[in-house]
Amino acid sequence: MECREIREIISAYVDGEASPEEARRAEEHFGRCPECRAAEKRMRALGVAVVRAEGAVPSDFRENLFARMEKEDLLPKRRSIFAFSLRWAAIPLAAAAALALFVLSSRDVPRDLSSTAMRPPGVAGPAGELSPEDREIVAYLDILEDPDMLDETEIEGMEIFAPSPEQRG
Amino acid sequence: MRTDAELMALYQKGSRDAFEELFARHHRRVIHFCYRMTGDQARAEEAAQEVFLRIARAASTYQPTARFTTWMYTITRRTTLNFLRDEKEPGEKVPIDTTGEGYDATEGISLPGRGDWDPEQVAWEAQLKDKLLEALQKLPEVNRAAFVLNRGEGLSYEEVATVLGVTVQAVKSRIFRARETLLAELSGLVE
Repeated sequence: MECREIREIISAYVDGEASPEEARRAEEHFGRCPECRAAEKRMRALGVAVVRAEGAVPSDFRENLFARMEKEDLLPKRRSIFAFSLRWAAIPLAAAAALALFVLSSRDVPRDLSSTAMRPPGVAGPAGELSPEDREIVAYLDILEDPDMLDETEIEGMEIFAPSPEQRG
Repeated sequence: MRTDAELMALYQKGSRDAFEELFARHHRRVIHFCYRMTGDQARAEEAAQEVFLRIARAASTYQPTARFTTWMYTITRRTTLNFLRDEKEPGEKVPIDTTGEGYDATEGISLPGRGDWDPEQVAWEAQLKDKLLEALQKLPEVNRAAFVLNRGEGLSYEEVATVLGVTVQAVKSRIFRARETLLAELSGLVE
């Protein structure tokens, strides 16, 4: 076979695209033709040179592209970490708030509603009457709303009511 | 790990992460292809940006029956072709900087018969690269694309045929013709 005819097969052989029959013919030819053997080596070297001829990847290539894509609405915008955290923290936060409310409100709720002493201040008992302690607290409600009304002598005169051991039950 | 086709399906549904993953996998290949096809760094960057914009715009038309890389290179080749047609005026070419911060120092393959880290070799390789890029630009576009897709990007003849819309036999002939011309142009440099 003439070298001119087999060179195209050698090209495919170098690329790993020659059929088994073509590869056999090429290898047989190399055995008796140093020129085509040298041509095969040059073809391989050329392939390596092409692989090495790479373009540079600019450090801002990605940033520039994504900015253009966002401008064209081709890329969903990334949510900020704060917004993302808030979104996922909403459920546990709401649960914590609900629990805190429950605990705070349950601290003053009497276990035995029939017990007048355990009733929250200002709430009338079953008979619609206030206990003496309740009446005294109601008397100081203005002060609770406006602490400036309270002077030190009044504080000293105040009696702190605490449930008796029996009332704590 | 998700396949390219799966990532495309996720991107079609609005996943940013899916597109970012596709970009991370393929942007280097796209830039290198554009560079080899245009022979100019600035044009290659511009073309590569356009390629990803086109991929995003055409995402809804992508069918998972087609291999993603084949589809991507079809878009890439058409984009570079448009760039080459649109920029027929000489224009000022930007020098190729392979030492700057943004340079992707992917490990290359040593060319036969040369020692590593030899200043003479570095100069010789730089000269070879310039001459090769220059010689590539002299080839007919379809021969250049066939050769670069196969040798530069690692596509099989069948995949190259799909990208170029020609037969496998035509790819074989075009790559051979490209090789013959390049070897003649680089006579004395590639031994």
